[in-house]
Amino acid sequence: MAKNFYELTYVVNPVLEEDQVQKEIKKVDDVLSKHKADVDQKEEWGIQRLAYEMDGKNSGYFVNTYFEVDGKAIEELERMFRIEDNFIRHLVIKYDNKMKRHYEKKKKGELPEVFPVVEEPEETQVPES
Amino acid sequence: MLKNPAHPKKATLRDKECAFSKAGVEYIDYKDVDTLKRFINDQGKILPRRVTGTSAKYQRQLAKAVKRARHLGLLPFVSENLR
Repeated sequence: MAKNFYELTYVVNPVLEEDQVQKEIKKVDDVLSKHKADVDQKEEWGIQRLAYEMDGKNSGYFVNTYFEVDGKAIEELERMFRIEDNFIRHLVIKYDNKMKRHYEKKKKGELPEVFPVVEEPEETQVPES
Repeated sequence: MLKNPAHPKKATLRDKECAFSKAGVEYIDYKDVDTLKRFINDQGKILPRRVTGTSAKYQRQLAKAVKRARHLGLLPFVSENLR
């Protein structure tokens, strides 16, 4: 099967201690390395508040990775996410060329600003010292 | 686009231009929640095109991104505000 570029975001149960969370993350990395995936980038956003309650929890430990892997690996990845009960949510997206260009731009930091932040020049009172 | 700008009633009509095509965006990412937040109302619903003036191509991408963000809990499905 062809190697595709994927983005995976998953949410780990925040109740676990730090080392247990790392153990869960290691499970994902093991599955990826087993299928010889070359991980391009891995960001851990840490504990974030969720917009709504997910099986009794209001926050989750978010991890976001980009990697290139053979198509077959995704099945096993998905199965693992369903079996393991410490993963609250996961989302795998296949990147097409348009999204890849966007990703390259994001890495280089030249993303077009949709709403450019306009700093209104507030009048700063000069303290007469 | 006004056919007859001198028309008394319609002179004030101004069609809003699409923020995404103005900025030249290629893909709306579900992760930049701040941009997405501007396109949902305070109940969490996606704003229609006639309100935001977004073009059809970007509205479809926007809807997909918002739904993905909702799935991951980055955006609420329904945000009840205490009226």
